[in-house]
Amino acid sequence: MDEDPRANGESNDHSNPSKKPKISSSLSLITQLQIQQEFAHHQDGVARINNGSFGSCPASILAAQRRWQLQFLRQPDSFFFNYLQKSILHSRTIIKNLINAHHVEEVSLVDNATTAAAIVLQHIGWGFAEGQFHKGDAVVMLHCAFQAVKKSIQAYVTRAGGSVIQVELPFPVRSKDQIIAEFQRALVIGKANGRKVRLAIIDHITSMPSLIIPVRELVCICREEGVDQVFVDAAHAVGSVHVDVQEIGADFYVSNLHKWFFCPPSVAFLYCRKSPLSLNLHHPVVSHEYGNGLAVESSWIGTRDYSSQLVVPEVLDFVNRFEGGIDGISKRNHDAVVDMGEMLAKAWGTVLGSPPDMCPSMAMVGLPASLGISSDDDALKIRTHLRDHFQVEVPIHHQAPKDSKVGARNGNNCITAYARISHQVYNKVDDYIKFREAINQLVHDGFTCKVLSQK
Amino acid sequence: MDSPRNHPCRQLFELKDTATATATAATATNHNRNNHTAPQKPKLSSLSAADLRSEFAHHDPAVARINNGSFGSCPATIIAAQHRWHLRFIQQPDDFYFNVLQSSILRSRTLIKDLINADHVDEVSIVDNATTAAAIVFQQTAWAFAEGRFNKGDATVMLHYAYGAVKKSVQAYISRAGGRVIEVQLPFPVRSNDEIICEFRKALEQGKSDGHKVRLAVIDHITSMPSVVIPVKELVKICREEGVDRVFVDAAHAIGCTEVDMKEIGADVYTSNLHKWFFCPPSVAFLYCRKSDETLDLHHPVVSHEYGNGLAIESGWIGTRDYSAQLVVPEVLEFVNRFEGGIEGIRKRNHEKVVEMGEMLMKAWGTNLGSPPKMCSSMVMVGLPVCLGISSDSDALKLRTHLRDCFGIEVPIYYRAPKDGEIDPITGYARISHQVYNVVDDYYKFRDAVNKLVNDGFTCAFLSD
Repeated sequence: MDEDPRANGESNDHSNPSKKPKISSSLSLITQLQIQQEFAHHQDGVARINNGSFGSCPASILAAQRRWQLQFLRQPDSFFFNYLQKSILHSRTIIKNLINAHHVEEVSLVDNATTAAAIVLQHIGWGFAEGQFHKGDAVVMLHCAFQAVKKSIQAYVTRAGGSVIQVELPFPVRSKDQIIAEFQRALVIGKANGRKVRLAIIDHITSMPSLIIPVRELVCICREEGVDQVFVDAAHAVGSVHVDVQEIGADFYVSNLHKWFFCPPSVAFLYCRKSPLSLNLHHPVVSHEYGNGLAVESSWIGTRDYSSQLVVPEVLDFVNRFEGGIDGISKRNHDAVVDMGEMLAKAWGTVLGSPPDMCPSMAMVGLPASLGISSDDDALKIRTHLRDHFQVEVPIHHQAPKDSKVGARNGNNCITAYARISHQVYNKVDDYIKFREAINQLVHDGFTCKVLSQK
Repeated sequence: MDSPRNHPCRQLFELKDTATATATAATATNHNRNNHTAPQKPKLSSLSAADLRSEFAHHDPAVARINNGSFGSCPATIIAAQHRWHLRFIQQPDDFYFNVLQSSILRSRTLIKDLINADHVDEVSIVDNATTAAAIVFQQTAWAFAEGRFNKGDATVMLHYAYGAVKKSVQAYISRAGGRVIEVQLPFPVRSNDEIICEFRKALEQGKSDGHKVRLAVIDHITSMPSVVIPVKELVKICREEGVDRVFVDAAHAIGCTEVDMKEIGADVYTSNLHKWFFCPPSVAFLYCRKSDETLDLHHPVVSHEYGNGLAIESGWIGTRDYSAQLVVPEVLEFVNRFEGGIEGIRKRNHEKVVEMGEMLMKAWGTNLGSPPKMCSSMVMVGLPVCLGISSDSDALKLRTHLRDCFGIEVPIYYRAPKDGEIDPITGYARISHQVYNVVDDYYKFRDAVNKLVNDGFTCAFLSD
């Protein structure tokens, strides 16, 4: 990049904005104190061990975002005509390199994975409506797919006449082979009666319960079984696992950048491998660029604030202040969350929901059975209770045991709930100790979810 | 106990509650035509000229910004309010999501409902912009074709001057699903509402030909380019008389720019941006859908957890994103109520000023306005001297760029193709806007720039590609 259009916001001449001082390439690594300062805006006193839900954004990126916002507000027409598109292209190019895509046209920026799902599923919906697909042709998804994605399938596929095959994944799980076997079995059964599978939607990292799914192997199985197209919903992936779209081999791949890649809410990329089919993907909010390819369509969907899409260069600078860059960050997050998970499981006499190598920067930690979490509602209530009374922010997953004899155990009882703990650069050991103590106190007090139901 | 409820953020939130109560009371005052109801809380002081300048001090001072119509504008107070909301989310997003977001969106929707005279807050959804609203409406129409409720060839009637993005949306959803599209050819320059009404009736007739039904009429309240106020109330009535199924009014410019009363206008669906003329940050718009069986079937195209719970609820959560622009409506109401007559007063003064400036320019250049003043909103189409030689859309865009780069003037230019038989017609019109931050000098600067171009013998042929 010879010219840096990223202005400080005080451009006197909009055709030649003042440059931000260039950061020396031999910048020293970020210190612990600097990290604390970057996240000083996080609410004091809260053990924030839920990076997975809404992500986090350092102060220097928020400042960069403000500069972009101000540049637009200062002279929006000039921004629209002279800066916006090339700045979006800059972000897309960085992402293309990050994920090993071949062409920048394959990389579109959208708000979030939910939007990407709508794009892919609307395309499938048209396939049914326009007769390329037959009523009853199927879409395959994981049973634990994100609820928003399930609704999107209902809205676009079921409504248009498609059928849905759900793959039940075991949880707790012992190895990725269990998942591969289960997926293969479900796909073969699903295809019975000669049904054509038009699309498989596979999570790279499931949300609840959270696991790394062996996507590369599952994509191979899909190809072998004649699935038309594969969409990998990798909402959590970038910044927590290595992402190489050539290796994974999917047709469509989406990841949020505001969860684990320090972007402000919100921005995600949708990778669409170049093919005749990908030409027909459209952003559902149709604007002037309709027909010019998804990436260009997505770069203008009417007047709105695109600033979170523009800070990707600044984020790259930020992560490169850490040892090993984003890969170093994700490795250390993984190691720390497994450590903390095992500490908690030991303290409570429970187990992790999966082996460490299937944990990204999140881990599912069994909660003591005595808490009596016996429904999704209970799980939400205890989460609220932990927030309001213990200042611990952590999502809880209710897992109905399939067979009480083989479910994970907490002493003599079945584990029916898991906490999904996250680790990001701002977390400290104290956050997890606080959580440990909170649960210990609840157990000690004889607390059960029945108490909450009486409220 | 050091609970989050005692946290400073919470106190900030309570300050907002006070502000909101003031805004709500002030709205009630505003909407009461007799204006006799005293507000329950003391109003903030009115804005001095210095206050006003500082509210818009972030605008590029070197630019005569006479294009509020394209991207709107946002005062510093509102930007600050938006930052507070944004920071609130960033500080503890889970708490914000579970405890603050939905009630805050509901508060904004309730204020809008009052502002636009809708019956139920359920009828008011908040979306990003009018472009999104159009996608919502047209997707519903597309399903109706796909599911066989509409017959291939059933018509959608829209104005020829409909916004380009809306035309593409009609193509993407309705034409693709088998609907026929009929454009109402509107004259420009235009002299009276009757010209528009006449053309509209013709288009409806065309739509109903061969036993087809007109399933949807898409009517701009204020067209974009060229900009003219359309007699929507009359056109909606004609639609009802002629058996048009549904009427969608695209009022991207309307709120803050023209009177907006849902019951008066009588459309089924109505959308307006709030970041153009209502001082909200980019971007936010409302989509009003009159309660009926059909509105149950409107869906946000980005489907999330709330699918099936009604459009307003669906739109309140479309995945993790920054909803802060939707949350500052109470603060904006407070802001506009610091002006004499609130938003109505602002609108009236903008209109008077822009007409005055338009007439000043037209006299200086020896041209004309594109429509009579009563068909102008806070924008006016002013003819540009013929000698500038604007002979294509491309010329218009190049001239606009030239004015920006060489004269520091921001104003969109419209190319009006000559009709057969016209001699030396005006082929270029500038769409000038007036908003509270504009000063007379902005328009003098424009006048002088064009005069200079004319004196220098400039034509668009000189501008390279």
